[in-house]
Amino acid sequence: MKEKTPLMQRDGTRSVLASLLSILIGLVAGAVVVFLVGLFNKSMSLKTAWEGIQLIFLGIISTGRNAAGELTFGFNPVTFGNMLFRATPLILTGLSVAVAYKTGLFNIGAPGQYLAGTAATLFIALEIPSSVVPAWVIWILAFLGGMAAGALWGAVPGFVKAFLNINEVLACIMTNWIAANLVTWAFDVSNLKNTVENTKTAYIYKTSFNGVQTPKMFLDKIFPGSQINGGILIAIALAILMYIIFTKTTFGYELKACGANRHAAKYAGIKDKRSIILSMAIAGAMSGAAASLYYLAGNTEFFWSTYQSLPATGFNGIPVALLAVCNPIAVIFTGMFMSMLDISGLQLTNLTAYNEYITDVIISVIVYLSAFSLVIKLWLGGKAKKKAGAKPDANAEPAPKADAGKEAGK
Amino acid sequence: MEQTPEYVIEMLHITKEFPGIKANDDITLQLKKGEIHALLGENGAGKSTLMSVLFGLYQPEQGEIRKNGKPVKIESPNDATALHIGMVHQHFKLIEVFTVLDNIILGAEDTKMGFLQKKDARAKVKALSEQYGLHVDLDAKVEDITVGMQQRTEILKMLYRDNEILIFDEPTAVLTPQEIEELMQIMKNLAAEGKSILFISHKLNEIMEVSDRVTVLRKGKYVGTIDTASTTKEELSRMMVGRPVQLVVDKDPAQPKEAVLTVEGLTVPSKIHKNDAVKNVSFTAHAGEIVCIAGIDGNGQTEFVHALTGLEKASAGKIELCGRDITHLPIRARSQTGMSHIPEDRHKHGLVLDFTLEQNMVLQRYYEPQFQSHGFIRFGAVRSYAEKLIEQYDVRSGQGPVTVARSMSGGNQQKAIVAREIDRDLPLIVAVQPTRGLDVGAIESVHKQLVAQRDEGKAVLLVSLELDEVMNLSDRILVMYEGEIVGELDPKKTTVEELGLYMAGAKRQGKERESA
Repeated sequence: MKEKTPLMQRDGTRSVLASLLSILIGLVAGAVVVFLVGLFNKSMSLKTAWEGIQLIFLGIISTGRNAAGELTFGFNPVTFGNMLFRATPLILTGLSVAVAYKTGLFNIGAPGQYLAGTAATLFIALEIPSSVVPAWVIWILAFLGGMAAGALWGAVPGFVKAFLNINEVLACIMTNWIAANLVTWAFDVSNLKNTVENTKTAYIYKTSFNGVQTPKMFLDKIFPGSQINGGILIAIALAILMYIIFTKTTFGYELKACGANRHAAKYAGIKDKRSIILSMAIAGAMSGAAASLYYLAGNTEFFWSTYQSLPATGFNGIPVALLAVCNPIAVIFTGMFMSMLDISGLQLTNLTAYNEYITDVIISVIVYLSAFSLVIKLWLGGKAKKKAGAKPDANAEPAPKADAGKEAGK
Repeated sequence: MEQTPEYVIEMLHITKEFPGIKANDDITLQLKKGEIHALLGENGAGKSTLMSVLFGLYQPEQGEIRKNGKPVKIESPNDATALHIGMVHQHFKLIEVFTVLDNIILGAEDTKMGFLQKKDARAKVKALSEQYGLHVDLDAKVEDITVGMQQRTEILKMLYRDNEILIFDEPTAVLTPQEIEELMQIMKNLAAEGKSILFISHKLNEIMEVSDRVTVLRKGKYVGTIDTASTTKEELSRMMVGRPVQLVVDKDPAQPKEAVLTVEGLTVPSKIHKNDAVKNVSFTAHAGEIVCIAGIDGNGQTEFVHALTGLEKASAGKIELCGRDITHLPIRARSQTGMSHIPEDRHKHGLVLDFTLEQNMVLQRYYEPQFQSHGFIRFGAVRSYAEKLIEQYDVRSGQGPVTVARSMSGGNQQKAIVAREIDRDLPLIVAVQPTRGLDVGAIESVHKQLVAQRDEGKAVLLVSLELDEVMNLSDRILVMYEGEIVGELDPKKTTVEELGLYMAGAKRQGKERESA
């Protein structure tokens, strides 16, 4: 009764395997596309196609071409640093989706919360003159403000769900578009236009205009020449914090109980409405933090034109979370993986005749498969079960359910 | 012509294992043609697993299944159907928006060039329903008909497929007493016509009434097969539980002390209709007594309990618990004032099904200092507490404290809730149908625990639909009819018949009670 479940039959193992399989199939599919494009494009040779395939898998350790024109590979501090920099917002929006999912909510509102965080961060970072207030104080205010704005924006669908029982997906979609329009309007009427760079078609907002930017925390020494800053450490810290809250604390227990069975939670005296709103607020705060850390980097630009669309970073949180099976710690790695794909795309564009849209194809395939990762997991489970000679059935005598067990993040 | 084998179905030495548990251990079951064979066992004894093996849902590790003496392999429900084995599941497998006829022919439709030919099917179903006395309205939609008629639809489904071996998995759990009577008659008719019936149940009365032979399982093992005519309820329950079972709990007369719960003029609006579901209910429950609210299902008991425990709001009235007015307190504050609650719906309120058993065991107490420090859960304390309750209240599960609640059998889920609530050791226990779905052994133990709690000086408020339970367990009976308390009875001085009259609204006590 007490012996440990064999590694291969453990739920966590199967989750990890399923995610890795999704990723592998996605990469192979991408390689096939690269190969086919190379095959049918007259300007490309088979050699180009082979180089493309190499870059799909190894883009992150590509160091360019040598004198002979051959691709070279090795540790590349610039691409590594940039990968970590780009991973920062993805990890956080992934966390946003993952923690909501843990409490039984599907947070498709990450783009809106991200925009709310963007607006709050930029306004605070640019409106408070650094000649009066020290830049580091402004930085903290801008970061906290971004999180708070995201939290507030996330709490809206939570509120609507808790009190009016309106599905959070619907509410999130609507709040996304409200955020888009609200932010457009806010930048339009603000006086910030005068303080920032004005191009012919749009305004460019950079927090470094006001001298506010995230400290590098010595990471630029490890990855010289890259855009990296301390934001990635903050993102990782937040992921660990979320993991602790949701697995170790009574607060997390309440939120999860409420997500798994609102009625039973209520019966046990847990304030169900409060829990739903808090879950969404926490999710929103993560998306807000994603925006804050991205724009506070100093080297990033918020490009405001007449209309603000929904940021892809918000939506990309969904595949990041799904690939990680909503485990906050795993989100750190899947976030880095997604940004690695971005980098591979850039390498592909820079070093070969391919364009980076190929990586969009790969990401799409992986997103598709991440939704299937549960199916893959069940399939893996079925195989393991066949060996054990059992089959899941809720009616049966104590037979473990396929998706039951000690999932690391549960 | 070769001789007819004695048994239509034989399951010989079946062994089926799940991780952590041997659900079936060398079980043999032999079914004669034309008999009603009952399969008896406690919750989690392996009855459903054995039937799932027969129906092809599980593959046994060891053992053999024979039909008419010939070994057969049943690898899927399709194989079972081909062998004319049919099953009525405890939860019906019908399509709600289809008509009865469509449900019956589903999967076995006659078609001509892709068009359904229902005429012959209708005639065949009609003939079958007359032959066996299975009254159904063929053109009614399933969502509109009674549970009893849904069950008859399921039976017709089996007969339409010319099934010879019929499995009934706890068929009476969802039926009213009248419907149970009808079902018993139908089963006898079926057997008389040469069908062989396997009847899974843990209700001794029904088994004694309807079955020819009984096979008893205990904890996955085969105990024996006996003729019903030569046995008694007591013997059967002893075989099932492994020790003599008291079908009626011994208890000393109650010694009520101070009032624990006082309800005055409680009125609760209904969510379904415009009238109040609970109307002006007043009573007092004292320490050291079991007060039972009896009544037919749907007479306001659910709403009353919800208002009492805080799940719903009362529109008028006052509730006082241990001398404190709790009328407007939230749920947690009420429970901390001294109320534990065994809820009516164990899946909706009682358990978080996707949580593990240990997480469910602390559902009401996770915030107590014993189980957390500075907001961090003390996992060691939770584990040992869960293990203690599992041990003490005999909650059986595949993997102990880390079993997911959803995978446990219904009876053990209920035992876990009862354990959690009784162990909180609070002055008032609100127990709503605490023995629903339990077998005799477990019912005995829950009843004993409730009586023990009473003797320790707790007030027990029992809400029950089972007349036996009401009569055996309570010290005082309050009958609820259409949201009102229509009578207060002493179980020692009243009869089941009289209680029934009050419950049906045919009799009520005068105004003097209200003024008292």
